[in-house]
Amino acid sequence: MASTRVIAPYVLVLPSFVLAALIVIWPVNELAQLASHSVNRFGQIRDFVGMANFAALLDDPNFIASLWRTGIWTIGVVGGAIICSVPVALVLNEDFYGRDLARVIVMLPWAVSLTMTAIVWRWALSGESGMLNSALLELGVIDQNIQWLAEASTAFPMQILIGILVTIPFTVTIILGGLSSIPDDLYEAAALEGAGRWEQFRHITLPLIAPFLNIALVLNTIYVFNSFPIIWAMTQGGPANSTDILVTYLYKVGFRLGKLGEASAVSLVMFGILLVFTLIYVRLTTAKGAKI
Amino acid sequence: MNSSKLRRSLVCWLVLSPIVVTALFPFAVMLITALKPNTEVLTPTWWPSRVAWENFQTMWTATNFGNALRNSLYVSVLATLGSLIVSIPAAYALTRFDFKGREFYRQFLLVTQMLSPIVLVVGLFRLMVALGVIDNINAVTVVYAAFNIAFSVWMLQSYFATIPLDLEEAAWMEGAGRARTLVKVFLPLAVPAIVVTAIFTFINAWNEFVIALTLLRSQDSYTLPIQIFSLVSGRYTVEWHHVMAATFAATVPVAIAFAWLQRYLVRGLALGAVK
Repeated sequence: MASTRVIAPYVLVLPSFVLAALIVIWPVNELAQLASHSVNRFGQIRDFVGMANFAALLDDPNFIASLWRTGIWTIGVVGGAIICSVPVALVLNEDFYGRDLARVIVMLPWAVSLTMTAIVWRWALSGESGMLNSALLELGVIDQNIQWLAEASTAFPMQILIGILVTIPFTVTIILGGLSSIPDDLYEAAALEGAGRWEQFRHITLPLIAPFLNIALVLNTIYVFNSFPIIWAMTQGGPANSTDILVTYLYKVGFRLGKLGEASAVSLVMFGILLVFTLIYVRLTTAKGAKI
Repeated sequence: MNSSKLRRSLVCWLVLSPIVVTALFPFAVMLITALKPNTEVLTPTWWPSRVAWENFQTMWTATNFGNALRNSLYVSVLATLGSLIVSIPAAYALTRFDFKGREFYRQFLLVTQMLSPIVLVVGLFRLMVALGVIDNINAVTVVYAAFNIAFSVWMLQSYFATIPLDLEEAAWMEGAGRARTLVKVFLPLAVPAIVVTAIFTFINAWNEFVIALTLLRSQDSYTLPIQIFSLVSGRYTVEWHHVMAATFAATVPVAIAFAWLQRYLVRGLALGAVK
């Protein structure tokens, strides 16, 4: 009996471990092989070339540009989503008529696949017949059609805005979880002491939801950094690679140009960056656990 | 008292109005375009002159919707079942046993969660080529199941931890074995958690893009997102009323299920984040 108690948890955990490991470890090993060898057009692995694939990346201006743009994309979307989500979550935490409906509407973009969202926006933003232009024309905001997706200066900010829109639901969810853990009597006590709403927010709400904001920040950074469909389905990184981020660059190099070695090198670079984010996440969650 | 709540409601809705409008805008675009007669699709007016319900019918055949729908259902249902079958025991072990390697296993799950499919896509593609299962929806199903394990275990575990141990202990006292207790006592209590997790896994699989885009090569095996994407990418003329009708038909059932269930997700994630 005692021995089955010792073995049981491992038996229970094993199938999930094997399945997840198969889908992670084999590909990671493959990526390491591809990145350190020269690979011909048919995907056969040739000579060991050390860091040559990485060096080739550094020589490619598109890689450097994509790297920077990934930074702008990630900071823009995550920052924008957090700034928008705090007031939205605060409002959704109030008791008001139609709150359930409001919650559903705010959460809706989460339910739609990013691919579909991106395709719908691509149509809505079309220059000649797009419904955004016709709405803005009718409202008198603009007096001629804007070719939103024809150049990066309008396409990329639009993609960031859409990124923010689809990131808000998850962020609001996490913040609502934090808000629900704050006892009401804290506010009553503060109100008795004469603290205004802003002071209550600064000195009670914000410090207490800070751990939740941190978690939302790190998890969103990871999701947004990896986010492929919005940019791919709207512009495929175009026009002329001007809206490429690392993931779309990776996909193009790997599957359009067929340079699997360089694509694997990009993957490993991303892997390294993600590992740093993961370590930050682990630090944040364990530090919080220690405090409670 | 009531009039103050009314005033507060107005202010709340006013503050939320920008996000409400932007969240609903894509749905409006989808529905309005889907219902425009095809001669009006490219004219930049908001409202159609008449409601063209027949678009949904012509879309069905023109976009090969039925086949993609079948593929999506097949992949999503099997991936959900597969992921649950391995995740339920794992989540149970994490909540009810204290074993060596528990922390390692949790960190491992975290890493698989961080390594999104896109980072691994080149390696996954090579794996599937080596196994000879490119353009095979069963291969896609297995990959989806594997990538949803971390999320499922996390969600299930945070609910399982709220199920009191007393009931199981009472069953053991009466001489029921551990396995019997698990099936007769624990699992029935866990049904709501399992259903919620299943539905979110289903939605994840239903919406996935990059793996399907890479591993599926022929129209016959396309899932809905890829099928619809293929209607707009690399084409001179895009039948937007068909595309929007297809997007609407593929999105609305999932959106309704999600709207109904989002409160459970709020609870599950909040529990998971705190634990």
